[in-house]
Amino acid sequence: MVGLGFRREFAEEMISGTQITPDFIEFAPENWMHIGGYWKKMLHRVVEKYPVLCHGLSLSIGSPEEPDKEFLRYVKSFLDEYQVRIYSEHLSYSKCDNAHLYDLLPMPFRMDAALHMAGRIQQVQDYLQRPLAMEIISYYTPVSPEMSEIDFISEVVQRSGCQLLLDVNNIYINAFNHHYDAKDFITRLPLDKVAYIHMAGHEQVSPEMILDTHGHPIADPVYDLFEWTIRQIRPVPVLLERDFNIPQMPELQAELTRLKTICHQQWKHHELVA
Amino acid sequence: MSSLPDTPQLQHRFTQHCRTGIRTTLPGVAPDRLTHYRQAIRHMVKDTMESAYPITCANIPARKWEGMVRTFFARHACTSYQVWKLPLEFYTYAVENNWDDVYDIPYLSDLLAFEWAEIEVFNMEDIAPAAFVSTGHWLETPLVLNPEYRLLSFKYPVHREARRARLLKEKGAWFVLLHREPGTGNVKFTGISPWLAFVIEQLAAGITVKDILEYAPQLGITVTEELEKDTLAFLTDMQQQHFVFGFQP
Ligand SMILES: [Fe+2]
Repeated sequence: MVGLGFRREFAEEMISGTQITPDFIEFAPENWMHIGGYWKKMLHRVVEKYPVLCHGLSLSIGSPEEPDKEFLRYVKSFLDEYQVRIYSEHLSYSKCDNAHLYDLLPMPFRMDAALHMAGRIQQVQDYLQRPLAMEIISYYTPVSPEMSEIDFISEVVQRSGCQLLLDVNNIYINAFNHHYDAKDFITRLPLDKVAYIHMAGHEQVSPEMILDTHGHPIADPVYDLFEWTIRQIRPVPVLLERDFNIPQMPELQAELTRLKTICHQQWKHHELVA
Repeated sequence: MSSLPDTPQLQHRFTQHCRTGIRTTLPGVAPDRLTHYRQAIRHMVKDTMESAYPITCANIPARKWEGMVRTFFARHACTSYQVWKLPLEFYTYAVENNWDDVYDIPYLSDLLAFEWAEIEVFNMEDIAPAAFVSTGHWLETPLVLNPEYRLLSFKYPVHREARRARLLKEKGAWFVLLHREPGTGNVKFTGISPWLAFVIEQLAAGITVKDILEYAPQLGITVTEELEKDTLAFLTDMQQQHFVFGFQP
């Protein structure tokens, strides 16, 4: 299953399904909750056509403050209403001092943060009555770390029982920006917990820095890392994220096709077993 | 035991810097990378405000506008978990802090209210209208209105004009009706007189046109044949525009 992030810019094309044919769609519930009118109709049309996965933005699971109960209540009813198969979020925070910052901020890799986050994930999972798939975010600086990123993630996953959303492009970017080996990092993750994969484009803005833009085609070395990665895991849904600098649909379709071909080759054995 | 601050303290410092730009100490954080976060967030907030308030932004000198957005984000804790509602918090903040006077833009809150209402009406959750039929007596049958609307009152005619000098000259009582077209979802706005604004409020409460006209003298309004004719002409036109849906069955 290779899906595409649903965006207003190409909603018509996805609904008509003539130029682009993802196996499923993904969107952020925050962008579609409490909405009526034109976009509500469009959402209903696209949801009738494709299976839906949701990828949240505002849960801010690493925040010092308590989760927003009202927000969670809406998320729960939204996930039920649209029969959402996977709800994913980020190993990150975007809110502090009760103020939203609308960006995914890096958690300090520290034991107190890992314990806090694991507790929060459990709390949300219990409330929603479903596991969360937590994405390893791209980040541009560590914040006063006391442990390695991999130990931090493993600790959170193990203690909370959550699943992982492996964004291969994020790992590629982080490995470049923080000078580590992407394959070695992936090998050390609890790979049996990977429930979902993201793929996206990036941009190198200086000799030392790559930005996670979601505004470019997937880079070749990220395809290579993807191919290597999926050999290590069981088949899971794969999503192409394209949020900016939207190209013509055939270009996006070509990326979907390339991803599908790789999945088919690497997961052939699983398909036969299944 | 660690000599470093604990995680909530680090998060507080990190986000305070992102919001205010005030220097902070964060062990292990590369300053240029912290700046990257601050700038990314600033751009996002600025873009959100500029796409929500294109007229306001175009009519305020760039540095003044940027200062307003910066002050808002630094001092106000944004509570909306949906980015598209962030401009509402900006508008509310401007009103609460009396920015019309502070920035010497007397029509600022009117302009923000007008631009926000368009977004709000476009996005608002669907509201099922009451049952209606397409024929009835314009004077005597209660009308059924499209419930997806906002009626705004302004001191300045910001729906017609954006130039400062002209706006300031036309201070008064202005009314604008915004409603969402059921078929297309587009928002239409109509400048209306104080009388028609009163009529709409009463119609929405289920009062008939006849009763509204009978009550008018108590408001000091002289009811003439022309007023009645104009009122009915407006309502017929608003039926074409899908604001008046029809008549109560
Ligand atoms: Fe992602």
